[in-house]
Amino acid sequence: MLKIQEVKTLVETGKAKKIQAIVQEALDAGCPAQEILNAMIDSMGVVGDKFSAGEIFVPEMLIAAKSMAKGVEILKPVMSGDTSSSLGTCIIGTVAGDLHDIGKNLVSMMIESAGFDLVDLGVDVPAQRFVDAVNENKNVVLVACSGLLTTTMPALKEAVQTIKAALPEMKVIVGGAPVTPDYAAEIGADGYAPDAGSAGVKAKELVN
Amino acid sequence: MIIIGEKINGTIPAVKEAIEKRDAAFIAERAVKQAEAGAYFIDICASTAPEYEIETLKWLMAVVQDSTDTPLCIDSPNPRVIEAVFKYANKPGMLNSISEEGDKCEVLLPLMAGNSWEVVGLTCDNNGIPCDLETKLAITRSMVEKAAKYDIIPDRIHIDPCVMALSTENNSLLNFAAEIKAIKELYPTIHVTGAISNISFGLPVRPLLNKTAMAFAIEAGMDSAVMDPLNRDLMGTIFATYALMGQDKHCRKYSKAFRAGNIGSLSK
Repeated sequence: MLKIQEVKTLVETGKAKKIQAIVQEALDAGCPAQEILNAMIDSMGVVGDKFSAGEIFVPEMLIAAKSMAKGVEILKPVMSGDTSSSLGTCIIGTVAGDLHDIGKNLVSMMIESAGFDLVDLGVDVPAQRFVDAVNENKNVVLVACSGLLTTTMPALKEAVQTIKAALPEMKVIVGGAPVTPDYAAEIGADGYAPDAGSAGVKAKELVN
Repeated sequence: MIIIGEKINGTIPAVKEAIEKRDAAFIAERAVKQAEAGAYFIDICASTAPEYEIETLKWLMAVVQDSTDTPLCIDSPNPRVIEAVFKYANKPGMLNSISEEGDKCEVLLPLMAGNSWEVVGLTCDNNGIPCDLETKLAITRSMVEKAAKYDIIPDRIHIDPCVMALSTENNSLLNFAAEIKAIKELYPTIHVTGAISNISFGLPVRPLLNKTAMAFAIEAGMDSAVMDPLNRDLMGTIFATYALMGQDKHCRKYSKAFRAGNIGSLSK
């Protein structure tokens, strides 16, 4: 238990160099891998909340996610074959005409840290490509689309509507500087998050 | 420093509201104040839904041109929108922007043949913003060569190497400085510009990072900037940096800016 608390602290404080040894120690002490993973996911939830509240900043969120990824490397061989721990696959990309990916990359990181498998389609993704990616990948439960420019908001609408037309049950989350909760609802998205910290939380909420 | 005043942009909530209400007095005041503070160009960006962008820009152009003689910088991610409103400019200004994305060069460069319009050239292409210097230089070279076909000399081009956020790229300022130097080495008379405030995204006390980065960027050779000329701190940093670099003889401009009340703390 103590070891798990230590793992959590190392995630929250972004100690990527130290975490692998401690995760290993926790495993050696008999902690189930799943429990360690869940603890790290919880920690990233704390990190996301602190970021949303303005208590910590982008680089601190980045190193926390990096620490978690390092810890997961140790858990992977132990947990291989066990997919029950994943919340499912999330497809992410910026919509057609939008090349801005800093925000999208932060969101990717937080969604992945929340326990999803992630497929990143990159920037300037045509609406149909999102649908194709859902069909090409296993266990897709969520599609995340971002647009930073006011002028690409119509492309965001098209993306959401194309996905919903082809896959009515698929959950879609949207975000980006000009996007508002009202606009997200108007274009038919299931969820909206104002920042990367809350994107992870919202993503979980949508698929649960 | 060639200052491109950024304060008339529909992504700013107050400006968005003024655009929706067609509040000409609000827009005119922003234009005049930026011109008085030393803007060389007044950037106008509608940032509306695409179906209203042309009429919005046309209105913004009319309001700004009625209120100041400072040339316009017509700003849209859609080159066809710029092409459509180009004829409403009453004198040459700046186009914002070309890049190697889509057919921006092909649509906009012909407009600049035989006149003195200037242009912002972003170092990005259909794959987004490259991370490496070599690709950014290759994009710069390609844009300059395309411009040359219309007799547009490098002096009329402001390359924006797209400064990245320090919060996600630890070497963002060092990379930016290296890019500025390399572009200037390739084309000594070209301008290098940028929206320096991007560097502080995701970090606290952004103004502190912005003005410190400005000093380093000027030292590296940046000579044009998309910024708020009413930002006294940033303007002060620019005057101070040129003076410190020995490029303001007898510190005349620095002293003059102080006497004009443009730099330093405001007296009560």
